[in-house]
Amino acid sequence: MLIEASGLTKRFGEFTAVDAVDFAVVPGETFGFLGPNGAGKSSTMRMIGAVSPRSGGDLRVFGLDPAEEGPAIRQRLGVVPQEDNLDLELTVFENLLVYGRYFGLPTPLIRERAAELLDFVQLAERRNQRVEPLSGGMKRRLTIARGLVNTPDLMLLDEPTTGLDPQARHALWERLYRLKQGGVTLVLTTHYMDEAEQLCDRLVVMDRGRIVAEGSPRDLIARYVEREVVELRFAGGSENGAAALLEGVGERIEELADRVLISTGDGDATVAAVHERGVQPESVLIRRSTLEDVFLSITGRTLID
Amino acid sequence: MVGAPESMIRAGTILSWYARSYRHTWRATITVAFLNPLFFLLSIGVLLGGIVDERSADLGGLSYLEFVAPGLLAATAMQIGTNEGSFPVMAGLKWTRTYHAVVATPVRVAELFTGLFAWVALRIVVAAAIFTAVSAAVGAFRSPWSALAPLAALLCGLAFAAPIAATASALEDGSWLTGIFRFVILPLFLFSGTFFPVSQLPDWLEPVAWATPLWHGVTLCRDLASGSAELWPALGHAGYMAAFAVAGSLLAVWILRRRLLR
Repeated sequence: MLIEASGLTKRFGEFTAVDAVDFAVVPGETFGFLGPNGAGKSSTMRMIGAVSPRSGGDLRVFGLDPAEEGPAIRQRLGVVPQEDNLDLELTVFENLLVYGRYFGLPTPLIRERAAELLDFVQLAERRNQRVEPLSGGMKRRLTIARGLVNTPDLMLLDEPTTGLDPQARHALWERLYRLKQGGVTLVLTTHYMDEAEQLCDRLVVMDRGRIVAEGSPRDLIARYVEREVVELRFAGGSENGAAALLEGVGERIEELADRVLISTGDGDATVAAVHERGVQPESVLIRRSTLEDVFLSITGRTLID
Repeated sequence: MVGAPESMIRAGTILSWYARSYRHTWRATITVAFLNPLFFLLSIGVLLGGIVDERSADLGGLSYLEFVAPGLLAATAMQIGTNEGSFPVMAGLKWTRTYHAVVATPVRVAELFTGLFAWVALRIVVAAAIFTAVSAAVGAFRSPWSALAPLAALLCGLAFAAPIAATASALEDGSWLTGIFRFVILPLFLFSGTFFPVSQLPDWLEPVAWATPLWHGVTLCRDLASGSAELWPALGHAGYMAAFAVAGSLLAVWILRRRLLR
């Protein structure tokens, strides 16, 4: 086990951010914390990263207690924080140099690794440029390179693609996927279900400080929702009446502010049933169920509000 | 705070980070560290000093230039100490958040602060040494004891750097710093015995001046530069400034821990 947590708890004054969670991460896997903002994902990550003392429960990272052996744990971690914290005054290369020294690495070794890492994150041409004017996606990639400079046994990525445009997100996923193929253990938090589906072998769904479900993305979908979802949109908020008319159609109906979702094993049959009831939605969409639907079915709320 | 050899090495990596950054930012610092003090030395010390000396003011047997130059040395150290003790901390915590990146590595908070503190000390002592050399060259510092003046200035600068670093660690907003510079540091600069003997102040204000580390720095630098320093008073001044540096450092590390490791 790389990480083992039992009853892990974090309180800030009266507020309980992480409420007695249990999980374990094994070497080589990509493990995710999926949940909306404020679910306690980042607080959990900070405790794993040995930068936040736990308020209760037990936690072992590499078999070590973060409260006792913080520096030894951090020596083997790569951390990509939610907010970039690169040194904007320095060049791309200098950021890696300075950071590598914090791990006690000799300069020639850092130079060697920096060359490989900058190739890996496609920033080799920017090596001697200042960081400040780089785009958000480039800064993120540099932060990932920085997190890899000590060849960590475990990489912690907190909301790795939040704030990036779709193209930069895909570029980043591709890099993370290659790391995963290379055998690096990744632990990430996200509130994007597509990110969790693309990258995670296994994940826990967090809500209000608790773990509400655990499994592979495929398991979770099979366990909590039907195979397909029919999405109905209505012109001008007439959906309230529609939901009553639709009772009994599909397996389960969720009413959201802007649409009605029907969970079903057979989308086409469900759409036919909707029309039989005389309901006239403005648009109809049949799609595959996602982790977003899993979250909705467990908590009754959406991941991004 | 930082004892073990590996801790000193890690503190050293922070020092080398600041030195690396300075390669990119040194241009912005030369006015405060080098040019301003020399302009003051010339305009106040030499040119205004000419008028003061004609009136034969009582400056303990010193010419005005000899009187004001050590004061400027201590005041310059104070300014470098306040600037370098505050802005990097504010940047590390809030602006670029680099301190959050540092504590995610094996480097501990006390090591981070020690590295910063060593860097500030280096900045002060280099500027103080240059100012001392120039002062000696223009005849403002006459005693061989002047060689120790940069160390007195160093203590004075650190007596400000540490408490202001603690203050910056606690602040949410950098605009408070501007207020501190205007309403604390500038009055100290003007009224703590740099430009005139504090005996000129109203009686009730004089003890206030004695309480500031700057007055002790100015007095110690002046006694060294003129060769009138005596052991026990000198140690008293040094100890007073060192107490500010130590207490400020302990407080800064304590606050930084609370901020960075929540």
